[in-house]
Amino acid sequence: MSEEMDSMLDMYLYENGQLLEKLEMTTLEKKDADCFDEADINEFFRVMHTIKGSSGIMMFDNIMKLAHKLEDVFFYIRESHPDNVPHLELVDKIFSVADFFREEFENISEGGEPTKDSTELIEDIDKFLSKIKNEIVSEHKPLPKEEKDEAPTHFYIAPAVTDDAKYFHVHVYYSNDTQMANMHAFALANALKDSVEQMYYSPEDIITNEDSADVVLEQGFKILLKTHQSKEDIEKILSTHVVQTMEITESSKAEFEMGFDIPSIIVGADTIDLGDEPKEEKKKSEEVTPGDYVIDAKPAGKKATLAKDKKPKAPPQSYISVNVGKIDQLMDLIGEIVISESVVLQNPDLNVPNLNLSNFNKSAAQLTKFTAEMQDVIMSMRMMPLTNTFQKMNRIVFDTSRKLGKDIELKMIGEDTEVDKNIIEKISDPLMHMIRNSIDHGIEEKAQRVAAGKPEKGLITLEAKNEGGKVVISVSDDGGGMNPEKLFAKAKKNGIIPADKTINDFTKKEIYQFITYPGFSTNEQVTELSGRGVGMDVVVKNLQSVGGVLEIDSEFGKGSTMALKIPLTLAIISGILLQVGNAKFVIETSVVKEFINMRQFNTLTDPDGQEYVNVRGQHYMVVRLSEKYHIDGAKDKIQEGIMILTEYESQRICIFVDKLLGGQEIVVKPIPKYIKKVDGLSGCTQLGDGSIALILDIATLV
Amino acid sequence: MAEQNVDIQVDEEELVDDSVSTDAKQYMTFRSCSEYYAIELKYVNEIMGIQPITKVPEVEDYVRGLINLRGKIVPVIDVRLRFKQEPFEYNDRTCIIIVSVKNTVLGLIVESIADVVTIKDKDVEIPVTLASANNKNKYVYGFGKVGDEVKLLLNPEKLIGDEEIAELEAAVEDAQ
Repeated sequence: MSEEMDSMLDMYLYENGQLLEKLEMTTLEKKDADCFDEADINEFFRVMHTIKGSSGIMMFDNIMKLAHKLEDVFFYIRESHPDNVPHLELVDKIFSVADFFREEFENISEGGEPTKDSTELIEDIDKFLSKIKNEIVSEHKPLPKEEKDEAPTHFYIAPAVTDDAKYFHVHVYYSNDTQMANMHAFALANALKDSVEQMYYSPEDIITNEDSADVVLEQGFKILLKTHQSKEDIEKILSTHVVQTMEITESSKAEFEMGFDIPSIIVGADTIDLGDEPKEEKKKSEEVTPGDYVIDAKPAGKKATLAKDKKPKAPPQSYISVNVGKIDQLMDLIGEIVISESVVLQNPDLNVPNLNLSNFNKSAAQLTKFTAEMQDVIMSMRMMPLTNTFQKMNRIVFDTSRKLGKDIELKMIGEDTEVDKNIIEKISDPLMHMIRNSIDHGIEEKAQRVAAGKPEKGLITLEAKNEGGKVVISVSDDGGGMNPEKLFAKAKKNGIIPADKTINDFTKKEIYQFITYPGFSTNEQVTELSGRGVGMDVVVKNLQSVGGVLEIDSEFGKGSTMALKIPLTLAIISGILLQVGNAKFVIETSVVKEFINMRQFNTLTDPDGQEYVNVRGQHYMVVRLSEKYHIDGAKDKIQEGIMILTEYESQRICIFVDKLLGGQEIVVKPIPKYIKKVDGLSGCTQLGDGSIALILDIATLV
Repeated sequence: MAEQNVDIQVDEEELVDDSVSTDAKQYMTFRSCSEYYAIELKYVNEIMGIQPITKVPEVEDYVRGLINLRGKIVPVIDVRLRFKQEPFEYNDRTCIIIVSVKNTVLGLIVESIADVVTIKDKDVEIPVTLASANNKNKYVYGFGKVGDEVKLLLNPEKLIGDEEIAELEAAVEDAQ
C-alpha cells in the first residue's frame, strides 16, 4: 500500500513538475506580449485542470483549491474573451501560483505534507477574477459564484456539443476488499473524461469525502456520460481498470439530463437499485449549481483574441523518464559489447595465411562504427542541457527587475551546454543568487546609467561553456562594478581581515573574494532581495559540494563577472591518450598548450636531478611519467619521446611521454576507493577497447 | 573472534538456502601456494579468467591494478602477495574471484580455483591460537574439514581491510 502510494506520489510530483515547467516557459515567452493567445489559455487551463485533478486524488487540498481558482480565471478568459485583461498582472498571478505549487511539491518530495495556506492567494486571484469580470458586461451566462472552500464536485469535458452524441449509463462495482475505492473510481472517471463530452458521476464527493469509498463499495460507482464514442470504446477504456463487474447501458438524452434520478427507466439494468440514492444528487445538468460547471460550446462568431506578435514555437523536446539503474545497466552492456567486438574482430582464428577477409573487414568496420556511435549516445544520456536551468533564470530576472523597477535584458549564451544531471540540480540555487545579486547590486538605477553614458536598459549575460574539463557558467552585468577600496574598507570594518593589513597586501581578485565571506554585505540598505549578507557564502558552499569554485572579476564602473567553475565528475571530457611503457594515460586536452617533438632538444639538469627543457628561450620543468610512476619499458632518451607542454593556473610544466595515441572523448570515472589516493591522478576511464587508462591531474602532478 | 563467528551463524540460519542444511555453509575454495583456502560463497560475485590489468602507480605491491568488469572499474589484489608469499607467474589457470564485501567490490587473483564445497559448522574448527586477540594470521579465522582435507577459512573483511588500520587496531587491542 505504502509502496503504491510512493510511486503514485512520485508520478504526481514528476508529472505536475513537468506541467509547471511548461506553464512557466509559456508564460515567460509571452510575458512581453500584449496578451496570451488562445492556445496558451487552453494550455494553462488544461495544466490547472490536471493539477487540480491529481492533487484531488492525492488529497492535497490547498493545491487543489488554488489550481481550481486559477482554472476559473482561465475558464473565464477562454469562454468570455475579455479584452481588458491586465496582461502583466495575469503573468504575475500565474507565477505566484506556480511558485506556490513548486514550494509545496518540494515540501512533499521531502516527505512533508502540503500544509501551506493558499487562502490568501486564492482571495487575490478571486479579486483579479472579479475585476476582469466586472469591467465588461458579459454576454454570457455569468459563471456561478463559488464558495471559496467548496471543492469541485463534478468534472466535465465539453469541447464541442453536437447532436449525434450518444448517452451511456455506466455502473461499476469494486470487490469488497478494494482499498480506497473512491480513488479508483476517480481514476476511472478521469480516464473517461478525455473521450466524453459531458459526464456526471455518483457519489459526487469521491475526492473530498473519504467515506465515499464505502458508498462506492456498497452501491457501486455510477457514471452518466454523453459521448461520441461507441460502447466498445468506452468498454475498452474501462477495461484497463480493475473492477469486479461493470455494466454499460445505452440511455437517452432525456435520461441523461435527469441525472441520477431515474430509478426504473434503465432497460436491462435490473441490478441497479437507485432507491436509496442521496437526495442531493437530484441535480439536472441545466441548472448550474455551485461547483458544477459544464462548459458551453464556444459560441460561433466570437473571435478569439490572439497575441499580436505570435512567434513560431520551437518544437518542444519530448522526454521519457527512465530509471537511472537501467541507464547504468545499458552503459555496462555497451562496454561489454565493445569488448566482445574487439575479441571477435581480433580473433586469432582469423590469422590464417592467404585468407581473403576483405568482405569481413568491411562489415567489421561498419559494426565498429555503429557500436562506437551507440556508446557515445549512451554515455551522453546522463547529460542534460542547461536550457531549463537558464529558462528559470529568465524568470528570476523578470521577477526581480520588476520588483526593483529596473529594466533588464537577459542574454543567454551556450544554454545547450551539457552537464551531468546531478550537477544541474546543485547549481540552480547558486545561479539564482548570483543573478539576483547582479540585478540588485550590479545594475545601477536608470538615471545613474544614463549619466554614465550607458543604455537605460541593463544587460545581464548568462553564459555556459566547456573549458578545461570544466563547465564554466558565468553571470556578467554591465553595471557599476565593484570598488576594491570600498570592499577593502568594509572587510576591515567587519573584521574579516586583520586590522594591520593594507590594501596592497591583496590582489584585486582576492579583494573581490571578500564578498563570499559570511556576513559581508556592502549594500548599505537591506533590500527585500539581498543585502543581508547571506547569499554569496551560500553560493560558495553549494558550489564546493560539487567541487566547484567561484571566480569574481570586476571593473569599477563597467560591470562584474562571476564565474562558476564546476568539474565534470561524470561528464565526458575531451582528452589526449598517451602511452608510457605499457601504461596508458589520458590528459585533458584543455590543459595542453603544445606538443614538442624532442628530436632537436636537449634538457638541462640541476644538481637535485631536476630536468628542464628550453623551448624558445623559456625553461620548463620536465616530469618524466616513467620515473614518477616507476613504469618499466618506457623510453629513456629524451629525443625518442614527445614532450607535452601543459598549463594549469598559469603554471607551465612539460610532461615527457613515449608517444601520443590520439584524442578521445572520455568518461571520467573515479578510481575505486579501495585504492588510496595517488598524486597526479584524478580518475580513470574505460577506453574503446575495454582497457583502462588513468587520467592525469596536472594540478597535483608536481 | 569466536563470538563474531557465532553472530554470523545466527544470521545465516535465517537466510538459509533450501539446498543447504541449516548447520552448514557453502564455500568457494582455491589454491594458493600449497594450501587450499575457502571463502564463504555469499561473498563471491563471480569468477573470471585472468584479464589485462591496468597498473596503478604508487600503491601497495599486492594491489595489482584495475580491471574493467563490464564498465565497472574494479581493483584487483594478488592473494599470494597479500599473504606476503612469493609472487607467481600468471597463466591460463590463474583466476580472478570477484568478491563483494561491505559494498566494496574487489578482485582476488588466485593460482587456481578448486571447488565449491559445503562445510558443516561442526566441522569448522577454530583453534585457540587463531581465536586469540593477538593473532598474527588475521586473514584466517578457522579450519574447515572436508573429508580428509583441511581448508583454511578466510575472513574476506580482513582480506580487503587496510593493513595499517588493522595493525593499528591490533596495537590498540594489545594495549587494552
